[in-house]
Formats: sequence, structure tokens, C-alpha cells
Amino acid sequence: MSTAVVQSAEYRNNQKRKDTLISIFIGIFAFVWIFPILWTVWTSLRPYNDIISYGIFSWPRHINFNNYVNAMKEMHIGVYLMNSLIVTVPSVILTLFFGSLVAFVVTRYQYKFNLGILLLFTAGNMLPIVLTYIPVFWMFIWVGELFGNRNMLYNNYGGLILVHVGFQVGFATFVLSSYMKTIPKEISESATIDGANVFRHYWNVILPLLRPALAALSVLMTTWIYNEFFWALVLMSDDSKRPITSALRRLQGQYVTDFNLLAAGAIIAASPTVIMFFVLRKQFIAGLTLGSTKG
Amino acid sequence: MKTAATVQKKRSRRSLSTTDRVTLTTFIGIPSLLQIILLWIPAVVTIILSFTYWNGVRLKDIHWAGIQNYKNIFFNNPLFYQALKNNGIWLLFFVLIATPLGILLAYQIDRGIKGHAFFESIYYLPVVLSLAVIGIIWNFMLQPGGFVQGLMGRDIGNAISIWGNAKINTWVILGIASWRHIGYIMLLYLSGLKSVDPALKEAAAIDGATDWQIFRKIILPTMQPVNIIIVVITLIESLRAFDLVYIIYGSPTIFPLLNLLVFQNFAGQGISMKGAAYAVILLILCIVPIITYLRINFQEDLK
Amino acid sequence: MSEEKNVLSRRAVIKGAAVGGAALAAGSSLSAGTADAATKVKGSTVKWTTRGGGATGDAIAKAVNDAFTKKTGAKVVAQQVNSDDFQNNFAQIMQGSPDDAFGWMAGYRSNHFGEMGLLADLTREIGHLKTNLPTAAIKGATSPVSKKPYILPTTYYPWGLHYRKSMVKDIGMNPEKIGNWDDFVKLMTLTQKKGLVGYSLGAKGGWEAMGSFDVINARVNGYKYHIDLLNGRAKWTDARTKESFKYMAQLIPFMNPNFMDISWDGMRDLLLQKKTGAMMMGSWFANDFKAKSQADYDDLWVVPFPEINPKFGVDTIDAPLDGISVAANGKNVSGGKALAEFWASPEGIAAAVKAGDTNIYVSKSFDTSAYDAFNKQKLAVLAAASNIMFFLDRDARGDFAGPIVGPAIQSFLQKPADVNKILENVQAQWDALPKQ
Repeated sequence: MSTAVVQSAEYRNNQKRKDTLISIFIGIFAFVWIFPILWTVWTSLRPYNDIISYGIFSWPRHINFNNYVNAMKEMHIGVYLMNSLIVTVPSVILTLFFGSLVAFVVTRYQYKFNLGILLLFTAGNMLPIVLTYIPVFWMFIWVGELFGNRNMLYNNYGGLILVHVGFQVGFATFVLSSYMKTIPKEISESATIDGANVFRHYWNVILPLLRPALAALSVLMTTWIYNEFFWALVLMSDDSKRPITSALRRLQGQYVTDFNLLAAGAIIAASPTVIMFFVLRKQFIAGLTLGSTKG
Repeated sequence: MKTAATVQKKRSRRSLSTTDRVTLTTFIGIPSLLQIILLWIPAVVTIILSFTYWNGVRLKDIHWAGIQNYKNIFFNNPLFYQALKNNGIWLLFFVLIATPLGILLAYQIDRGIKGHAFFESIYYLPVVLSLAVIGIIWNFMLQPGGFVQGLMGRDIGNAISIWGNAKINTWVILGIASWRHIGYIMLLYLSGLKSVDPALKEAAAIDGATDWQIFRKIILPTMQPVNIIIVVITLIESLRAFDLVYIIYGSPTIFPLLNLLVFQNFAGQGISMKGAAYAVILLILCIVPIITYLRINFQEDLK
Repeated sequence: MSEEKNVLSRRAVIKGAAVGGAALAAGSSLSAGTADAATKVKGSTVKWTTRGGGATGDAIAKAVNDAFTKKTGAKVVAQQVNSDDFQNNFAQIMQGSPDDAFGWMAGYRSNHFGEMGLLADLTREIGHLKTNLPTAAIKGATSPVSKKPYILPTTYYPWGLHYRKSMVKDIGMNPEKIGNWDDFVKLMTLTQKKGLVGYSLGAKGGWEAMGSFDVINARVNGYKYHIDLLNGRAKWTDARTKESFKYMAQLIPFMNPNFMDISWDGMRDLLLQKKTGAMMMGSWFANDFKAKSQADYDDLWVVPFPEINPKFGVDTIDAPLDGISVAANGKNVSGGKALAEFWASPEGIAAAVKAGDTNIYVSKSFDTSAYDAFNKQKLAVLAAASNIMFFLDRDARGDFAGPIVGPAIQSFLQKPADVNKILENVQAQWDALPKQ
């Protein structure tokens, strides 16, 4: 007993020394890791003319937020941020809603096709997106034409939202059904015996229990959809309707020489997800765990 | 007991009212339709189109090509083999280097070293950035007149080649991709590690086990489900890689990847159904990891 | 295919462009046309896309569109898009919900999409402008298949050897006399000796180096051979083609080693910051020199790419014709047509020039007497050639130029020793293309 305590203390001492070393090493590495971001922030605070006249390593003569002001004004970043919001929020809500519906049915009711549905959804989540790109495009045009408005889905927020939902709902279903399997069956059974219909069973019994999983997933999904780049590029022909992530590409081409301004634009574009990450870190990590461990 | 439960279930199913059946059908029907219409039907259409010649505008111009598109890709197109090679290197690099680094980082941070929460955030930060922003940041670091070239004393007149230099660009791009991937893997693993009982590790250490032994004998087995997911995510991400390289190069010719070749040949002015054939090749390569993933996740259900 | 028919005969263009303000007589018929269109579009909204061009591009678009609004009472909603993305998605954008009118390129790029029914037939509009446009420009804008124009020609520019006069003087050469291959090599050698880049190239985009290849092949083998090559009537594996690549290989040692890292804007910056002796490029980038300073602009010069084979001299040039196209699937096609016609009309041109456009216009009514020295030189460079090409990716089909020739030139620049293998491969890929 006493030797164990001594050994344990020795072990802890050893560990402490080792941890300090590792801590220093990881710390230095962390600085290297974050340096490109810091450098971009630093650049965004300096005027273009300072860099042109004195070089990128020169001592700063002016530090201000002018680039940010100009980015908002000249690049219309506000419009693009708004577009991101218009696309991201409904996409996340619909994805989670549909995902929870499917997860609810396949885990609470014993149908033969349950496994098939789950396989369909999970596999769909992993398909290469480009495989579907051109047919989805034609479908959007075709449906639009059917209703007499080519812009019904193509070059429309609605179409972009639909595509995001279609591609993300597989993951949401998979995660939520794993999570739901951990909710005891007895809860459902008692609800059924109490005479709750399917809708109430879902809405009043299961949905409240899903809240932590939904919160975690919504954070993750928001980041993914906000950062998504491909679909907005190909399905939105109007630049003024593009979300910020896709719009950045045009700005990158247009402001290639005034890098300080572009840096400010990039920082503004990155800030929503970065802020969200710091504020909702717990949900973030929980979201990842839900996806990676089976309930 | 068992039979009682089954009876109960059967009864509850039989007792479903028509409204309930309609509700259930809607619940499952709408999302499934969305999946089938937006994913599966387009996928099948692409597969069919890969056997045709078409420029993608008027339906009447489509005509049958048999396996010509595939033959053309396999026998005439050097970019295809470069892309295969690049995707392959990407995959190996992620599996053998980036992913283990992420795991190592998670393992070290999990030991509760000083400032672990802070480090966790820093290493994860690139993951929440979009690839468009990442492209801008790194282009800024590496472009002629940028930070790295500046450190080497190079201006735009004598800048060294980075993006276009076949000797190093693969590693630069993989480095940037890893910048994001390592943080992602770290956080995935870290969240799993929190569930490993620390007393178990300590006990093993007292028994004289080395760090490596602890990791191999205790951590790895406990983390089995996470490990598999991570490997599958790594495989899929490597095969689907697109955004970063598109942002940096804009065209697939300098650093070809399968996904970029699909895009170049399946859209715009160079549109031909070779692009569809590329997409199908990509799908075939993705099928192995997809099936592995499904089998692992639905093992019990499949029995 | 009959690209020859589609090519501007330079005499006609030059003659047209040089006759300043000669279209007074034609004025009446023209204004009748626009007035007719104006009554139709009044009160409607027309959408316009500017392809790239940054702040200058936006300013020019605003000036012309405002003038159009003032004249017709139609509202114009304009946007600027990333030029590469617009081209990469062009077929989709045109099938989807395109803006009504936009700046576009003549040649295969408009003819092909016009024949596919994606661009509007502009026969009527080009009829209104007829008296203002040289016959060759009209011919250049007309699809050889259906004989319909799908673009209203506005500007064109020479692909020539650009350099800075002050730098050439610094190395003791006469800036007016970079005429033959020896002068050219001397210029590159001397600038390189000064620690600068001899011949700057950007090959990242895959198309920039096509300009060098076009002109070298035309210098070595002549115009006809080059056009034949791009359309499958000559072989890439032919010894004559290989000969051109030999000349191309001679330039590689003078190039900036990071040519695969930079695009056309990187080339421009090298010249703008006096880091390179010469570069082969279209003169459109001169706008950016002017935007930086008048002194930089005045220092800029252009000459024809030097002669290689005396049999052909400097008789061929890449002079892409740009113009305005109207999307067939736009919401306001008649408005788009009216706007396109306005852009191509003397009034539209006047507004664009006033807003800082340094391009040269094909319009006969355009007063060239006010041209600055650089623009006059551009005309002179164009006048030196009797065969005009549109540029490789406009003279060859779209699924060949971008996906096949571009990468081949890139790999050649990186590994010139592999030339035989690369060319065999290009030929094999041409042979595998579906018939059109």
C-alpha cells in the first residue's frame, strides 16, 4: 500500500516534468500553427501604402481599422454575410428537422426497411458531390421551366438551401439515430400506451430529449454549411446572391494587389464561425463526439 | 420477457391509426424523397451520361459513346494518372502522417498539460475557417512578395517557385490541408479520450508500462470505434479533396485531382461527358471506404 | 470548319479604325435603330455582367450603362463577376438565368454557344451598326455555320511583345528598334544579366502561354499551318510543330523560374515594377498601368513578336475581338439587345473612353486622332500583320483548347525534353474527340 503511494508520487513527478516539456513544445508549435492567421490579422490592420513604401516587414507607421471599413463599403461584405445567413439558418433547421424525423421513425418503429433507409442516408452523405452536380443543375432548370420560372431553384436561395439539406441530412440522420438508440425504449412504449399519436410521440416525447444532440449538431452544421463553397459557386449566377465564402473568390481575383483590404475581408468572413467556436466550444466538441461514437 | 416485449411491439404497431401511418410515411417520405431526388437519381444519371458524347446543352445532341470516354481517360490522358497519383499521395500522407499527428496531439493535450484548453482551441482554429479563407491566408504567406518569400529575401522579381514547382507543391498543399485536418482529428480523438478512465492509465504506469504500451494496450482498444471513423473520414476526405486546390489554382492542370478533373470536364466551355466518366471513377474509388464505414456502423443491425 | 472566313482581314479593320469620325453620314440610320429599340425597352430593367476588370471595369460599365439609362429610360442592374468562374460555368449560366447582356469574346466561344441556342441572334443590331463597323469585324463576329452574328464587336487588342522604354534605354538599346530575333534575344540576355527576368511568363492559368505558342508557331510555320493545326488538319506530331516548340524552349532559360506560380496579373506586376525585360501579352492590361500612374503608362511600349522564318516575316498576329453578347435565356432579351447595341454604338464607346477605357475600338466612327502614343503603336502593331488570329482558345474547340492544349503547354514548359511524348499525347487526345 505505502510503496504504491510512493511509486504513484514518483510517477506523478515524472509525469509533471515530462508534461512541462511537452507543454513547451506544443506551445511553440501552437505559435507556428496560428501564425498565418495572426499575420493576416496584422496585415489587415495596416494600410496598403505602408507596405508598398516600406515593405511587408517594416515597422508599422499606421495601425487602424480602415481596411475593415473599406471592405464593408467597397466589397459589400455586409450583403454577402446576409446571404450566408439567409442560406445557412434555414438549411440547418431543415436538416436537423428532417434528420430527426427519419431517426425517430427508424429507431422507434420496427420496420423492415429501417436499415435500408439508414444505409441510404449514411451512404448518401459520403458520395462525391461533383457526381451529382450537372444533373442537379438540369433538374433545377427543368423544374423551374415546368413552373415557368427558371429562377425558382437555380440562382435562388431556395435551391441552394434544398441542396444543402439534401447533402447534410444523411449525416444528421446517422448521428441522431445513434443518439436516439441511447434513449430507453420504455419511454416510447409508455407514451404509446398513454395513447399519444405518432406526432405527439415525436414532438412532445422524443424531440425534447434530443435537445442536447440537436444543439451540438446545429453548431457543427452551421460551420459546414457556412463554409461550403462549391454549390453556391455553381448554382448562384448572381454575384449579389452568393454567400460570403463563394463571394470571397471573386474578391480574391479583384483585389489581388491590395492584399491588406482582402485580408480584412477574409477576417470578416471568417469571424462568424470563429466566434461561434469560442462561444459554443462545448457544443462543438459534443457534436463531433456524437458523430464519431456509436450510442 | 422477450416474447412479452415482442407481443407488446406487435400490438403497438397493429394499433397504429391511419393518421399515424400517414404521419410516419410523411416523416420518412419527405426526407427520403429529397435524398433520392437530389443525390441518387443524379448519381445514376451521371453514370449513364458517362457512356455518351454530349456537350451538355441540347438533348438531341446526345449520342452513345460506349466506353470511349473511359478508354480516352485511361489511354490518352496523362492528367488522369497525375490526379490518381496526387489523390494517392494525399491519402497516404493523411493516413500515415496527418492523422497520427492529430492523434498524438490529442493524446498529449489530454494528459492535462498546462494550457491544454488554450492549445486545443489554437489547433482547432483552422478547422472552423472555410477553405476560401484558408486559400487566401496561405496564398498571402507564400505568394511572390509574401511573408515566406520575404523571409528568404526574395521580391517578386526573383521569387522562387512554390505553387508551380512540382518538387514541392504537393508537400506545400498537403501541409496546408493537414493544417486543417490535424486539428479536426485532434478534436475528434480528444472527445473520445475523455471517456477513457484516467485511473486505468495510472495503474498501468505504476505497473511499469511505458507510454507507448499504455497507448497501444489501453487507449487504442478503448477508442476502437473512433479509430475506424477517423480512418474512414480520412479516406473519404482525401478522395474528395477539391476546394483548397481549386481556390489556389483555379484550374486542375498544375495539381490535378480527380475531383478537379470532373469539374473541368463536366462544366463550362470544356464540357464533355469525360467529366461524367471521371466522376464515376471517383465514385468507384469511394465505394470501398463507404462500404467499410457502413459495415462497421451497422454491423449489429445487419446481423 | 472554316476559321479562315471567320478571321478579320487586317486591312479592313485598320482602315476602319483609322478613318476617324467618318460615320457622320451613317448617323441617321444608326439613331433610327436605337430609337426604335429605345421605345421598346423604356421602363424595363436590363441586367449586365462585367467580366473582371476591377474598379476600372466597374467605372466603365457604370458610365456606359448610365448613358444608356439617360437615353432610353431603361434601368440597368450591373454586376462584376470573376472572369474565370464565369467562363468555367458559362454553359450553365447561359442555360440558367443569365444577365441579359455581357462582355464576351468572338470566335469559337460565341459561335459555338450561339449555335447551341444560348446566345441571341444579333443580325438586326449588327445591321443598325453596319455603317460603323468594318466588314472584317462583322465577318469576325459572324458564326461561319449559320452566318448569324452572336456578338457585337467592340474592342480588340494586339498580342505583342511588351516592354518598358526606360529599361531598354538603360541597357543601351533603342526602344523603337526591337525588330528581329537577335534584338529580342539581346534584350532578354541583357536584362537577365542585370539580375532581372528576361522574358516573363505566367502559366498558372493554363492559357497565358498559349499566346507565346500561337505567335511562335505562326512565325515558324505560317498562319495557315497554325490554324490547320488547331483544327486537326495538321498533326501535333509533325516535325514542323516540333520545330516551333524548339523555339519556345529557347525562351525558357530567360523566363522567371516561378512561371507556373503566377498568372497574367503576376506578369503585369513584373513589368509594372520594372522586373522584366519583355513579355508577350495582350495589350488590355495597359488600363492598369494608367491606373497606377501616367508616367508608367507613357513608359509602356509594344512591338510585333520578332520574325523567325523570313518566309512569313511578322505577317500574323493574335488580335482577339471582344464584344457584347446577349443571352437567349435572359429575362429581357430585347432590353439586352438594346443595351448591347448601345455599348457598341459611338455613344457607348464615347462614354467608355471617357471613363478611362484605353482599349481600341473597331468602330469606324471612333475618332483615332485623339489616340495617345501607345494606342497608335497598338494600331501600328496590328497593321504590321496581314493574318489575324483570335487566340488559341478561341480558334480551337472548347473541349480541346482548355482541357488538352493548355496542360500540354504547361508540361512542356516544365519538362521541355519530353516534347515528343507530350505532342504524341495531344494528337491522341485530338483523335479521340467526338466529331462535331
